[in-house]
Amino acid sequence: MAGIPNVRLSLASRPENVLLVRQALRGLADTVELDAIELNDISTALSEACNNVVAHAYPGGEGPMEVEMLASSDGLEMLVRDHGRGLQPHASDPTEIGGIGIPVMLALADSVEFAGAEGGGTDVRMRFSTPKAGVLAAGRSGPQTAEELPDEVDGDGQGVYLAVGPPRLARAVLTRVLAAIAARARLSTDRIATTGPLAEELVAHLAGPDDEGRLALLATLTPRQLDLLVGPLGAGSSLDGLAPTLEELTEDHEVLQSGAGELLSLRLSESGPGTAPRAVNGGAQEGH
Amino acid sequence: MQGSADVDTKLGWKRGEMTSTRTTPPITSRTSGTGSDARQPDPRHLFVRWQRDGDSAAREALVQRYMPLARSLTRRYGRSSEPFEDLLQVASLGLLKAIDRYDLERGHPFQSFAVPTILGEMRRYFRDSGWAIHVPRGAQERALKVRDARERMANEQGHSPSVNQLAEYLEIDVEDVLDALQAIQAYETVSLDAPRPGSDEGAAAYGDSIGTDDERYELVELDATLAAVLGHIPARERLILKMRYVEDLTQTEIAERVGISQMQVSRLLRRSLDQLRSLTHAPVAAG
Repeated sequence: MAGIPNVRLSLASRPENVLLVRQALRGLADTVELDAIELNDISTALSEACNNVVAHAYPGGEGPMEVEMLASSDGLEMLVRDHGRGLQPHASDPTEIGGIGIPVMLALADSVEFAGAEGGGTDVRMRFSTPKAGVLAAGRSGPQTAEELPDEVDGDGQGVYLAVGPPRLARAVLTRVLAAIAARARLSTDRIATTGPLAEELVAHLAGPDDEGRLALLATLTPRQLDLLVGPLGAGSSLDGLAPTLEELTEDHEVLQSGAGELLSLRLSESGPGTAPRAVNGGAQEGH
Repeated sequence: MQGSADVDTKLGWKRGEMTSTRTTPPITSRTSGTGSDARQPDPRHLFVRWQRDGDSAAREALVQRYMPLARSLTRRYGRSSEPFEDLLQVASLGLLKAIDRYDLERGHPFQSFAVPTILGEMRRYFRDSGWAIHVPRGAQERALKVRDARERMANEQGHSPSVNQLAEYLEIDVEDVLDALQAIQAYETVSLDAPRPGSDEGAAAYGDSIGTDDERYELVELDATLAAVLGHIPARERLILKMRYVEDLTQTEIAERVGISQMQVSRLLRRSLDQLRSLTHAPVAAG
């Protein structure tokens, strides 16, 4: 994959995580303004690739599933990687029954490549040509920094790791993914409604320059509670303007020292004093 | 018998000829070898009987045999905003085409030919129905349902429901609830942001991301001050607004009643709403 992916997700190979991948794609689709058919094609093919990992990569168990999305001037590239059992290509297998996942991918993508990943496992790389993706690629100038969370917080495979840039893409993707994760943690819809404004503020204050900024996040879920590590808090990021938002939209926040830099730790839960804060935009219209 | 290449172009299926390289040799899924072919008669005989001899019973047997494939593809590619049965019809049509045009001589499994043919049929259906540009009505209506259910459940149980509760209550997918919440939130954000000078473009962008058709959301936005300004709208347009929002008629139904085209109804609604928006271009009272 040429260049740093615009979206990188790392999560456990569980059926429910495929939804998070699709929601991240929705954020990307909104940003580059894919039409509904383009989105449906990519979403379906991507789901098949992920479902393949969920169902077959780790027989009898689960393991890491990595998804990368990259926009370039000629289209979107989706990479789905596992570190499990390699894909076994059969030169000619007359069996018609069996997965239709791969025929679906072949039918919907403009190209599909299967390759062995380093250290075992499989890379499935799909390309979808659409000139719309160029709007993200065009903004990229010079070497793009790939600031992400330090390795030690890259998750133990249980959390959901997301790195995304540039900022305008990050806003849309983070909004979608946070809402989906919050829903998974069984937070109330009032609480979920605050994840959009939270995503906006995090990106605005932490992601860095418009063209090449980037935000990374590790989410850990427990029932009725969502813990987030966001970072890195590099140069140009400032908590000053962010603090009031965090007071309002999270139950807890603190800055942690982690190796090379600082990370922002956030907690969203329902267990705060009384009911969770009403969505900032909740009251007026809903009264009718 | 026609070749598969012919079908591909006929369906307008292949996009971007230059990039449509298939870089992989035929490949099967990891679960290969567990096929149930052994338990069923060889479908190749059925293809010969239908394609060479015109035996329609053989064709029927093929349809029966491969209907699960059409069904499976409908589930995968279809979206819940479209009725499943409608899409299954389209997929079945694709299946029939595939059965008629499959070239046994080429030696590829039927599935590898049928999947793109059936998907191509569904894709064309979506394109022809304007699905690409307009967010389907189903999605808009669902957003409103989710909004109402959320409010009702919050009143009943004393706290805001979870996404799963909403999904169960409305018997829809969690993902559809999430999409609806995004739509609702976008509109609510718009209404908060609307008074900001020069925010018109932003508001339009939010609206576009949901669908240009759903003026009802704009009505939510305008609700507070609507009554005060409706008098400024010409009588006929006021009538159309009333039919659309109070009587909840579709644009087509309104067109029939008023005796103009649906496009004109759409334009008039658009204009009325723009007008209303400009008239109410003041902060929407929060409460």
